[in-house]
Amino acid sequence: MDRYLPISVDDGAEHDSVLKVIYESISDLNFQLPQEQRVEKSPHAVLFGAGGKLDSLGLANFIVIAEQKLHDSLGLRINLTEDDPFSPNTGHFRTIESLANYVSDLVSRRTKVPQ
Amino acid sequence: MSSANHLQADRSTALKLYLISDFNLETLGNYLSNDSTWPQVAAASAPFGQVFPALLHPHSDPSDFALVWTSPEKVVPAFGDNLNNVEVDEDRVLAELGEFTNCLQQAQRHFRAIFVVSWTIPAYERGNNLLGLRRSGPRRLLLKMNLALAEKLESCASVYLLDGQRWMDENSYSPKLWYLTKTPFHPAVFSRAAGDLKAAISAVLGASRKLLVVDLDNVLWGGAVGDVGWEDLRLGGHDYVGEALLDFQKALKSLRNRGILLAIASKNDEGIAMEALTKHPQMVLRPDDFAATRINWNDKAANVAELAEELNLGLQSVVFIDDNPIERARVREALPEVYVPEWPADKTLFASTLLQMVCFDAANITAEDASRQQMVATDRHRKLSRQMVGSAEEWLLSCQTVVTVEEQCDANRERVVQLLNKTNQMNLATRRLSTQELQAWLQPANRKLWTFKVSDKFGDSGLTGILSLEIGSEIAWITDFVLSCRVMGRNVESVMVAFAAQHCAGLGLQELRADYFPTAKNKPCFRFWMSSGFSYDEGKNRFLWFPRQPYQFPRGIEVRLQSLPVSI
Repeated sequence: MDRYLPISVDDGAEHDSVLKVIYESISDLNFQLPQEQRVEKSPHAVLFGAGGKLDSLGLANFIVIAEQKLHDSLGLRINLTEDDPFSPNTGHFRTIESLANYVSDLVSRRTKVPQ
Repeated sequence: MSSANHLQADRSTALKLYLISDFNLETLGNYLSNDSTWPQVAAASAPFGQVFPALLHPHSDPSDFALVWTSPEKVVPAFGDNLNNVEVDEDRVLAELGEFTNCLQQAQRHFRAIFVVSWTIPAYERGNNLLGLRRSGPRRLLLKMNLALAEKLESCASVYLLDGQRWMDENSYSPKLWYLTKTPFHPAVFSRAAGDLKAAISAVLGASRKLLVVDLDNVLWGGAVGDVGWEDLRLGGHDYVGEALLDFQKALKSLRNRGILLAIASKNDEGIAMEALTKHPQMVLRPDDFAATRINWNDKAANVAELAEELNLGLQSVVFIDDNPIERARVREALPEVYVPEWPADKTLFASTLLQMVCFDAANITAEDASRQQMVATDRHRKLSRQMVGSAEEWLLSCQTVVTVEEQCDANRERVVQLLNKTNQMNLATRRLSTQELQAWLQPANRKLWTFKVSDKFGDSGLTGILSLEIGSEIAWITDFVLSCRVMGRNVESVMVAFAAQHCAGLGLQELRADYFPTAKNKPCFRFWMSSGFSYDEGKNRFLWFPRQPYQFPRGIEVRLQSLPVSI
């Protein structure tokens, strides 16, 4: 079962800003990749696992670029290497969408007061 | 024997760069290899942690470049001890550093050029803050080490030090990347380093820009001088825009002081604009600071092309700055070789934008560079006098030209390499050589290279010509025949050919050959050789002379061998 289910409409704006930061990180990363290895800026683009184009160095670079950009834009230090990130079924690095959902979820939990 | 052993500059081939480090530099290699702008670079990493073996026994070609980026505590273990608060003797630090610089010195023969990155330490290495810069503090020691590194590398002609600190900010060191991949830096550091490295390679290849063409209204000063008059322009004073534009002019002047030519292309009334340049009390740049001007209502692209032609420069040497995006687009479209940077609308950013531009970077600044503006001014006087004197021959005779011939030596080597790598138009073979490659080429006793300095009654044009010969038992080949565009058409070409023919006659040689290697830019050289009196073999693109027949030196030019007159 997916630990990071699609988020609710209420959280849509937050999800969009997270997705924007992830796309910006992909843009930065793509400068260091040959044309055929560049990652598409689409929710379904695979980051890690079957069909993924990134090697381990590329993925590590993406992680630090994204962590830095998330900190710069959201003011939160997020460690993307926690929570079994590379699990084939549930890891948040499977696709851009799974990563955006994971981060949005973390952001919600850190910033919202429980009801 | 043939003169075909030249290395033609080829803009389509990627230059090889060998990355040598004690950490993982693959990300830098990726940035470089995947950037398609010129110069294209194909980076290959030596196994990391093998700095000394990779420098001394590289798997590279002598035409390859190398980048050496090391951690200070690994190259100088004494510094590592210092970081751990172990007291170290400064002599030990310098001895360990000396081993590194000796190794770099020896490695020069393996590479066309070596770039070494100065040492840095992470911002989070606070070193007990207050004590960092005190005696035996790590930051103080690192400053000393970088200074010693710079001083020791000063004598290495093909080793260049890059300032690594420029690429660092508070987030530059990434512990996560270090533990994951043995890469100490955030990718942004490598992105910035790749930009500087490409600029450095371009500078070593002699491809830096030489002419900066600027607009006037809202670039050199605020406001349109034709509308408000020079008295009401925004320049200097207690006005933030005026102060910013004053600083921009100072930045332009500093470029001019290191040999970049300035020119004006402005849609204005020339008299009004020149009055502003002359009379405004705060004006930093005066009319004499500009090598040429086009102040009229003509098309800007046509004006920029005319300015380059007047100054004998190719369009690939030109940068154009204008505040109007339509003018920028027009010049970009009409003259794609001219570099037209996007220019900020915010005038407070003008000076910093100019200072950040990498296209003016030079590997060395020679005496000729520093006095270029003066030389252009004397050239202007020369041209004026030419208009006043009747025939071209009459005018040349009146110039009292002196050509001083000198063998290649330590004192002129830097300028020789610069001329070889920069000259396009009057260049027979367009060989692009590093100092090391030139020295290696000159090793056999049958190869000679002479330099030609030119002066006349108007001024000194400096070292502007190169002639090299490869001499066999019966035949000699002219390998390099290079003359700066600054002195083209003043019969110095004929002096050089006559000198070569006379030298070969003295050795009793049967033939003097010159093989022409065509490029997109050296047609003027071909035209000169076609008029030189040599016979031409079209199939081989070869010019031929039989030295038993004397080749006449041109009339009216005094030729001196070093400081002694040559009998001609």
